Amino acid sequence: MRYDFTPEQRAWRDEVRAFIAEHLTPELLAELREAGNEGKGPLADRFILALRDRGYWGLAWPAEYGGMGRSAIDQWIFVDELESAGAPMLPLTVTSVAPTIMRIGTEAQKKQWLPRIVATEVDFAVAYSEPDAGTDMAALRTRAVLDGDEWVITGQKMWNTMAHMATHNWVAVRTEPDAPKHKGISMMIVPMDAPGVTVQPIYVWPGLRTNALFLDNVRVPRDHLIGERGMGFYYAAMALNFERLSIGSVGMIRRYVRELVAVVRELTVDGRPLREQPWVRERLARLAVDIEVARMLGLETAWELSQGSVPAAQSSMAKIFVSELAQRVGDAGSELLGLNGQLHPDEPAAHLHGRLQWLYRTAPLLAFGGGTNEVQRNIIAMLGYGLPRK
Amino acid sequence: MQLTYTPEQQALTDAVERFCQEQITPERLAAWQPQPRGIDAASWQAIGELGWFGLGLPEAHGGTGLGLVEVAVLLQACARGLVPRSVINAIHGGWALAQLDPQAPELAAIARGAAVVALALDERSVSDAAAYATTAQGSGSAVRVSGEKWYVPNGVSAEHQIVAAREGNGISLLLVAADGTERTALRTFDGEEQAIVRYAGTAALRRLGAPGDAASALRGLRREATALAFAEMVGGMKAALDTTVAYVKEREQFGQKIAVFQAVQHQVADMAMGYTAARHLAWQAITRIAAGTEEGMELIYASAFVPQAFKRITFAAHHLHGGAGYVVEHPLHYHSERAQALCIRYAPEAPALATIASDLLD
Repeated sequence: MRYDFTPEQRAWRDEVRAFIAEHLTPELLAELREAGNEGKGPLADRFILALRDRGYWGLAWPAEYGGMGRSAIDQWIFVDELESAGAPMLPLTVTSVAPTIMRIGTEAQKKQWLPRIVATEVDFAVAYSEPDAGTDMAALRTRAVLDGDEWVITGQKMWNTMAHMATHNWVAVRTEPDAPKHKGISMMIVPMDAPGVTVQPIYVWPGLRTNALFLDNVRVPRDHLIGERGMGFYYAAMALNFERLSIGSVGMIRRYVRELVAVVRELTVDGRPLREQPWVRERLARLAVDIEVARMLGLETAWELSQGSVPAAQSSMAKIFVSELAQRVGDAGSELLGLNGQLHPDEPAAHLHGRLQWLYRTAPLLAFGGGTNEVQRNIIAMLGYGLPRK
Repeated sequence: MQLTYTPEQQALTDAVERFCQEQITPERLAAWQPQPRGIDAASWQAIGELGWFGLGLPEAHGGTGLGLVEVAVLLQACARGLVPRSVINAIHGGWALAQLDPQAPELAAIARGAAVVALALDERSVSDAAAYATTAQGSGSAVRVSGEKWYVPNGVSAEHQIVAAREGNGISLLLVAADGTERTALRTFDGEEQAIVRYAGTAALRRLGAPGDAASALRGLRREATALAFAEMVGGMKAALDTTVAYVKEREQFGQKIAVFQAVQHQVADMAMGYTAARHLAWQAITRIAAGTEEGMELIYASAFVPQAFKRITFAAHHLHGGAGYVVEHPLHYHSERAQALCIRYAPEAPALATIASDLLD
């Protein structure tokens, strides 16, 4: 048993830190605070391109596609360092869609899409959910019918975040209406400028924008069905798997707690240092313990991945723990700050730029999104410990 | 990063688990309860022959010469298999003596299990060495101990005691022969053998370290003991989790296995999450303490989480077993008792949180 990083892993961490120190400027941090996910912002775009030029987009890509082929532990270190610093994260196009195409696309499809992704000509939103297919994704009803050399797609997708900025959509559609529901789905690439594509904004509680996507007899070339017909449910699961390392990352929350601790150390409330209050001390100590717990669950997932196993139960644990911890951090953080804790991010007097009340509003998304925590707990019980489905 | 056992550590675990499955049945545990060490003499001797008592003791004294990590591996498997407390506490005592005095002539008998050394550290309401009332006095080899130590594990039957006492402005550690002391058994909720040991100017066998200069050795001894206790906790929570998983898969209500109910599955998932995180927090602390590469707070973070996770897991285990796990014949309660007993002795939550708060805020 050894919990220390190897010299190579430490050198990698130092390399990532040096990159962040060079490229994560105060101006970029200010832009990120103001932009939310409404717009990526020119400085964030530049940061993402700098990541590409350093080869970091290919961190987890196989070497044959120009990737670095780094281990899951190295990926974990990379995500943890970026999140902990508050840097922009790599887009899903790079971390989820591209590696899926690499594994399941035909040679022609790989040649068609991968170079354009690297050239930033193509940027995806991802469309799995529908109004009546959320946790039960296999119930989706958006259908695609072959008409000559084109697929004709009709249906509605939900929570299609970034669709208003993306060039393409990565859409799960039903192509085999007579097959069992898990085996009748295919993955389709839909250009956003195709006739019949409409994007409607949906604003959610923390002020984030997501979208509904309407597809009305949208025609795409036959070869825009990626991989094999009827395999889409499994491809979507694969694409979601590639996201797992960042879903369960505690880096962002660790940064908020670090910043909260720094503020509490300086604050005077009712004429005495806030840090002397026993309840403040206990609550912050508990959060610090939980952050260490979350770090361990994330490392366990990365370790299992690096050993070549599929850590379904472990990544579910990390996801559950981090999302529920995010609620506790947002809650404790804004409450401990007293009346200041209710201030909006745009209010200059707000401590931590109002991020803790933002986290308070964002955290519920982390628990029900990305596969609800109930489903994650079922996964742990069934895949991790062999409890039966029925 | 290497988050699994070496083949040698796994082999040790397998051997201990095999012994426990064959020898430590619920029936035998019940039969052993009234006996002085909670185990019969033949089984104690068998464990001695397996080399468990000597695993971490120097080879020159009949031990195997392995380190803290291997002793932790041993204790984790022992706790999982419900090896009686007296055995585990004897291993703790032997390890401590070997650290303080690797040349101690007593080690040869201890390595065989033919003698036991107890740790006499705490007093009735004192665990902090700065507040000890027990004192040591004397020059050279003639040292006398006066005072009273409480809650001494194996304190009734152990042949030797390591006693911590105030001497001048410092702390001394001494080795004392038990037969010159007055020992009174303390009854504990889990049946662990403990004693009050009274010293009335009792002559020590010898000092373990220089006079008044053992404060840091005592801290080190406590840290290592806590690290070993974490391994015991991990073993215990694994046992509670495994027995629960097995039970819900066979128990039927409403015409089906209760394992299919989501309310049951979600509790099992939370137990598994607690176990997984606790295992890593514990082993991070154990391995860093063993290697002397601590970054500072590993032991404290483990203290704040591991015993609490163990207790939560045993409560959930009781809940999911219902009455079947509540009867005294079912071994689950042994783990539940250990969860709290180990927490109280080695790693209570409140002081750990206070230390973390100081680290963050002061």
